[in-house]
Amino acid sequence: MTLPSDPIGLAGLQYFGRTTASVSHELKNALAIIKENAGLLNDYLLLAEKGTTIDPARYKTVAVRIEDQTRRADQLIRNMNRFAHSVDSPVQSVVLDDLVALLAALSLREAAMRQVALTVRPTQSTITVTTAPFALLTLLGNCITFALAATQPGQTITLGIAPEGHDVQILFDSLTGLADMPGEAFPKESDKALLTALNARFKADGPAGRMVITLSGR
Amino acid sequence: MRVLLVDDEADLASALAERLDMRGIAAEWVTDGMEALQRAASNDFDVAVLDLKMPRIGGLELKARLQSLHPDMKFIFLTGYGSETDFKEVACHEGEACYLVKPVDIQILIDLIRRVTHSGGEA
Repeated sequence: MTLPSDPIGLAGLQYFGRTTASVSHELKNALAIIKENAGLLNDYLLLAEKGTTIDPARYKTVAVRIEDQTRRADQLIRNMNRFAHSVDSPVQSVVLDDLVALLAALSLREAAMRQVALTVRPTQSTITVTTAPFALLTLLGNCITFALAATQPGQTITLGIAPEGHDVQILFDSLTGLADMPGEAFPKESDKALLTALNARFKADGPAGRMVITLSGR
Repeated sequence: MRVLLVDDEADLASALAERLDMRGIAAEWVTDGMEALQRAASNDFDVAVLDLKMPRIGGLELKARLQSLHPDMKFIFLTGYGSETDFKEVACHEGEACYLVKPVDIQILIDLIRRVTHSGGEA
């Protein structure tokens, strides 16, 4: 058996697997809620058939839950589909705002398990870059994992995008425990390879609680 | 029989609890391990049905802490993992053999609850 020796390819596969597992786990939860509440509706109907009066508000509550979870599942599938299409072309023009929003959406469960919230600061104007979207998502996904480890529960990490001359910065702010993280924890070798491949730089400012990925030459 | 349901998905826990109640099994639900410990500190439950992956306290850790409060309490794990095989690996790692993969069938859950309470051990 030959395992991938390319660190970028391996990191990408690991990120793809991690993300797919997370989304499928969330889908399972949404389906479980739909199934259980559909069962509950059926229970109400059986009771009603036997002459028990059921408050219509109970039907409504359950119907709303089913509707909410259907919407949630649909959004999960949309995100997964967009993520899957990030490998369509190795290099393409990408609206960075959309990519960062997708990154945040794909990372919500990982953040929730650490009791950390994620928000995306809106940009004043759309920023487009020519990049390798899947490699960039992999790098940013690894950044998020590290950022979550560097943030105390109950806090909110803010993601942002800012033009910097001909470059563009992707910012991770409010990392309340960043100063306490060991310096070697990030970037790892595969992240360094991704940074090189993407013509990008990484900088961490512990006291400011900020990490920055700078993409060169938009 | 009293059952404590713990799942961070409130809409799942509440629906399951209501369906168990309708079938003669008194069920209370909470969405968090700390809340479960508080509830268990002042109440006796025969069975705890625990989601495996939850923020703060996961199902396996919660089981250990609940067991120290109520040594006779029985446990059933629920998981949203992709496949039954995945969950068996996790559960067996802790010496458990009692699991259900979401979405669950209410009758299978009830059968399992009855089985663990009558067998005198974990399922």
